[in-house]
Amino acid sequence: MKFLDKQQREQIGFSFVMDKLGITTTYGLEERKNIMPFKTSEIDKLNHELNSLDSIIKSMNSHIEEYNGIGRIFCKLKDIRNSIKRCSENKILDEIELYEIKYFSILVTELKIFLEKLHLDIEEIQLNSLEEIISILDPQRNGISTFYIYDEYSNTLKNTREKKKQKEKEIFAATSEEEVTKLKKQRLDLVIDEEAEELYIRKELTLQISKEAGSIKQNIKAIGRLDFLIAKANLAIAYNGTRPDICSEMKIYLSHSFNPEIKEILERGKKVFTPVSIELFSGTTIITGANMGGKSVTLKTIVLNLLLGQMGFFVFAKSAQFPILDFIHFVSDDMQSISKGLSTFGAEIIKLKEVVECAKKENGFIALDEFARGTNPKEGYYLVKSLSKYLTKFHSVSLISTHYDGVAQDNMEHYQVMGLKNVDFNALKCKIDLNKTHSVEIIQEYMEYKLEKVSKENKVPKDALNIAVLLGLEKEIVDIAKSFYNEED
Amino acid sequence: MKKIHSIPSIFNMIKKYDSISIIGMNKNVGKTTTLNHILSEARGKITLGLTSIGRDGEETDLVTATEKPRIYIEQGTIIATAKQCLLNSDITREILKTTGFNTPMGEIIICRALSDGYVDLAGPSVNSYMTLICDELKRFGSKLVIVDGAISRKTFAAPSITSATILSTGAALSRSMVKVIEETSHTVNLLSTENEEDRSVLKIANEVLSNGRIGIIHRDNTLKMLDVLTSLESSKEIVEGLDESTSHVVIKGVLSDKLVQDIMTATNKYKGVTFLVEDGTKLFLTRDTLYKFKKQGGIIKTIDKVNIVCVTSNPKSPYGYEFDKHLFLDGLRSNLNIPVFDVIGGE
Repeated sequence: MKFLDKQQREQIGFSFVMDKLGITTTYGLEERKNIMPFKTSEIDKLNHELNSLDSIIKSMNSHIEEYNGIGRIFCKLKDIRNSIKRCSENKILDEIELYEIKYFSILVTELKIFLEKLHLDIEEIQLNSLEEIISILDPQRNGISTFYIYDEYSNTLKNTREKKKQKEKEIFAATSEEEVTKLKKQRLDLVIDEEAEELYIRKELTLQISKEAGSIKQNIKAIGRLDFLIAKANLAIAYNGTRPDICSEMKIYLSHSFNPEIKEILERGKKVFTPVSIELFSGTTIITGANMGGKSVTLKTIVLNLLLGQMGFFVFAKSAQFPILDFIHFVSDDMQSISKGLSTFGAEIIKLKEVVECAKKENGFIALDEFARGTNPKEGYYLVKSLSKYLTKFHSVSLISTHYDGVAQDNMEHYQVMGLKNVDFNALKCKIDLNKTHSVEIIQEYMEYKLEKVSKENKVPKDALNIAVLLGLEKEIVDIAKSFYNEED
Repeated sequence: MKKIHSIPSIFNMIKKYDSISIIGMNKNVGKTTTLNHILSEARGKITLGLTSIGRDGEETDLVTATEKPRIYIEQGTIIATAKQCLLNSDITREILKTTGFNTPMGEIIICRALSDGYVDLAGPSVNSYMTLICDELKRFGSKLVIVDGAISRKTFAAPSITSATILSTGAALSRSMVKVIEETSHTVNLLSTENEEDRSVLKIANEVLSNGRIGIIHRDNTLKMLDVLTSLESSKEIVEGLDESTSHVVIKGVLSDKLVQDIMTATNKYKGVTFLVEDGTKLFLTRDTLYKFKKQGGIIKTIDKVNIVCVTSNPKSPYGYEFDKHLFLDGLRSNLNIPVFDVIGGE
């Protein structure tokens, strides 16, 4: 999967976003099912999609009534694709299918009226008129949606039904069992005639409708697109999404981006999501920071927004710029490896091989979350450092989070999670001593999740040791550790 | 069709309701005959809505191979039936709506009969759908909705779905007339179980129904909800919850024979306690269990009442025997305090 597999999409909160899309019609659901990232050659298409989304968002503010009307029609639309398929295959439609096609056509007419009021200049949601079908299926011209094989279709039918009705009256008036039986037998013969004539008419109607099948299919596609676009627009409005600027150079810029799923989880626990702002270029960028510092959240937020942008969604950020990517790879140690019998590290390496092959051929985005965390620190450090160095030579953008120090080289961008850097350490320690049972929550509260760019002068903070002290690790251990730190300095 | 005999008008007894279910004690007890009888009585007087509970194959009667009476409806009747059954019907019909409720026989379709004729009915198999279907039938103009039911699925006769019920019984139930009368009378007893009158208790009971499955009401009108998944497997929790202060146990869903037996085996604290169920259709108790439970001091009451309008009887069995129709009718009448009619024999 060049754009994450199902499980990874689940992990980064993509599935959460898809579930938040309020799609009403089966046609809209079909659009969602077939959603694909745009290809690099399709920049015009992607921009068109984003423009359409933009126009719909704008028109939603000024046409609330019309959009409510469209929503009500969507609720009434049923899936008639099977009938249209049958009709194109020259199978004879039954009267319920004919009813559904008639009702669909009436709803399309109503939808068309609403759409025209919106003056949207989006070609793929224009609807074909189905007046022809309505006139075929409403020979009495009474405009109601119910349907039967009308007497108007044939004189033979009309006559047969009149005879049948007469017979039914006689049956009701009959006084003896024998008479009733005899009359019912006669009625049955008329029923057979009626059904034969109805079959003939249904065949004719099906033939006439099949001529319009192309129009109906286009309308189905257009309704699906419209439903999907409206759902995307509603999502963008609900989360204050932004139209990403699609550039042609390999450069990714996100300002105040967030991840709705993680944000919701944090807010449920009365916590605040710290927005992610970052600028990435071809080659390697390193994110460092202590454990508990939210590096994974940062990566997931970036991956999610990039993926959504590739698929023509507005992104969850204040502003955003990125190109169309050939791939998005995300290597993290929560990848399931058990089924293949591999260790976490083994699974990471297998996945990495695939990623490197991709990077050799195409330009995309690679995110590695705490790569080689599972192996021994010294080897892990060397592996991460080598990998970082290797990836600088590609045009792809690589983002590597690690808690190993000294991975970043001069030719790499380096960010760090601010962590406890600006915290009054003694005040925090005091607070924790007063409320030991909530030490983890208190640290989280003081932890600054914001990213800052690291220059050579910046010192990497010793947050791991700090956190250990705050959580009350045995003083003797801390002291020994401190002596090692000093030796190193 | 049978000639209409001079029996009292069932239609007159039911026309004040907006919906009614007909439930048969067994196959071949004359339920369809009863239905056809009502249909012919109502002819020209009122727009009827008609549907049936979902089928589980009971209609294809391979054992007796009897030709089932079919349902003959009048022009103007609104019906709700599965697509396959509708296409099997010989009325000229106007399709009014497709409901989106699917059954093994296809989606349920609502249509209007544009001619008289035979119809094949199979409606929804889920109670909540049935309520919605009945509402649709009314919306399209039915003044009285009739639901064709079966005893094995008697919860469809719940007052939350139809406002009154007719019970059909007959010789097909058993070779022994005494047994048929006993079974019928037991069913009527369960269905017409006494209603709880205490308004404050009813208020709390309705709270239980909307919030969970089982609740225990104490004498001071406080409520304790029990944490159970189904009512059927909840005897342990109920037994643990019973004490001297318990006045009512409210049970949502079916009160089964096993549940009552399990409670009786485990404790005697149920004595003097009222077991409150939604309505009589939720009681699936054998005569013996009900007798023992009551004899030991247990009480069963309902939150809603089932209106049983009448019982119809059929002395003939398709298995090749029949009861003396007068003896049968008299036996039923002396055991039941609701009207009993023989719609086949005409008395």
